[in-house]
Amino acid sequence: MEALAISLIKAVPFLGAVPVWAVALVLMVAVAAVVLAFALTFEGVGSLVLRKVAGDIQVRIGPNRVGPNGVLQFLADGVKLILKEDLTPASADRPLFKMAPYFVFVGSFAGFVVVPFGVGLIAADLNIGVYYVMAVSSLVVIGILLAGWSSNNKWALLGGMRGAAQIISYEIPVGLALIPAVMIAGSLSLQDIVRSQGGLWGIFGWNLFHNPFTFFSFFLYFTAAQAETNQTPFDLPEAESELVSGYNVEYSGIRFGYFFLAEFGDMFVVAALTTALFLGGWNIPFFHAETLPWIWGNLLSLGVFLGKAFTIVLIMMWVRWTLPRIRVDQLMRLSWKYLIPLTFFNLLGVSLWLLVFNGKGIPAMIASLFG
Amino acid sequence: MGLKEYLNDIVEAVVTTAKGMRITARYGLDPKEETTLQYPEERWELPERYRGFLHNDINTCISCNMCVKTCPMDCISLEAVRGADKKMVLASYDINIGRCMYCGLCVEVCPPKSLKHSLGYEMASVNREQLILRFVQEDASEVKARVARQVAEAAAKAESPAAGKPAPPAKGETKE
Repeated sequence: MEALAISLIKAVPFLGAVPVWAVALVLMVAVAAVVLAFALTFEGVGSLVLRKVAGDIQVRIGPNRVGPNGVLQFLADGVKLILKEDLTPASADRPLFKMAPYFVFVGSFAGFVVVPFGVGLIAADLNIGVYYVMAVSSLVVIGILLAGWSSNNKWALLGGMRGAAQIISYEIPVGLALIPAVMIAGSLSLQDIVRSQGGLWGIFGWNLFHNPFTFFSFFLYFTAAQAETNQTPFDLPEAESELVSGYNVEYSGIRFGYFFLAEFGDMFVVAALTTALFLGGWNIPFFHAETLPWIWGNLLSLGVFLGKAFTIVLIMMWVRWTLPRIRVDQLMRLSWKYLIPLTFFNLLGVSLWLLVFNGKGIPAMIASLFG
Repeated sequence: MGLKEYLNDIVEAVVTTAKGMRITARYGLDPKEETTLQYPEERWELPERYRGFLHNDINTCISCNMCVKTCPMDCISLEAVRGADKKMVLASYDINIGRCMYCGLCVEVCPPKSLKHSLGYEMASVNREQLILRFVQEDASEVKARVARQVAEAAAKAESPAAGKPAPPAKGETKE
């Protein structure tokens, strides 16, 4: 961000007198505002698309009253959430109760910081990007546990406890499933990982097709991430048929809105990570995005990235409306007995592959075979 | 749990998930399969013999009281007086549709087939009074008074055949 500020000061003459830190601060706020605007728009439209997809899959229509074909439904929902009374139960732990939604929202929104939207479109290209996302998404656990505990409600408490157990259990397979991509790129920075999947092979540069182990790793990550974001086959923290609404049962108005936004924010972060780590990120097939003119390179790569990420989001919704919720013991068994051993096995496989074939993937080998 | 079952579990999970997703994709992509009916704008096509609200055609009703007697819920109340031409004239014919259980017995017994189920089914109301269907628009006492006058006039006419004019005022009253 500071490099950008210095180049801006050099480019615009009347900014010369302004200190660098001030320009950098303004830039940071502006970038945060743009990313937040994107996140909120995605969350609004995402909720509408989710309901429409649910309608299609369940052979009904879905929201169709607000605006043409229901496209303004998310605005109506948002206005409703803002205008509703923000209730606090009399026996709740007030400060914790009021704080919890912010933890959840911050935990989900902070993940957007390292999402590589395009060649140069990233809020902060941290050199520990993958690690950072894993770390901040754990903040959600604190929020969910706080919300469940402070509500002083048995459903909320059960939901919060389940949420904590589930998210902590599934963080391990998520982390282990991400490591193959990190090992291939040799870097934790998301931009470096995306760049490592570039090249003129088009889609065959993707980590997904690098070797059989990364291929499985993609599905393991997708499953574990679905659980980590509390999506439906694993939505035990908010299981509405048994826990009413889970950890957020006592929340109303804008505080409930924060939980709602966080859920969709998580969904996008997971989809973006899947895209960046396994599906080639913003790499445009058959082109070098970085050799294109700045504006075209960025626009095209943004389009490619969002296209892939939204496809992943759609698949997540599809899974969500297909599978029934599993039991708590099944959930734990899936994580500890199946996903974790399998991701370890995968990790071993990828390590051996990289050692034996000197870091080359199958498409690279086939390409070198034909010269 | 042996290794065979362990691997079997994994295969089964993958296969069943794929199967389920194929089914939901088929439903999701097929635009024709929509069972939702946008009710106020679209309506069901009702069967011919649908038992909706009862409707009595008071012009053909002979006030025989059969429907009142057969009704298990006592929801039909009927008042009739004998008119000048010896036929029964309905003074009031009310059906409390809030009590009706749509059994259709009254329709079965109706000799002139004047009582029928209509196709109506929409009658939300804020109080029970509005659920009483009144088929005779005039007040019952008014009808009784008018019929009594007609009977008296007919009797007077029978006594003195010279006076043949009293009918018109009575007819004017009916039109009101």
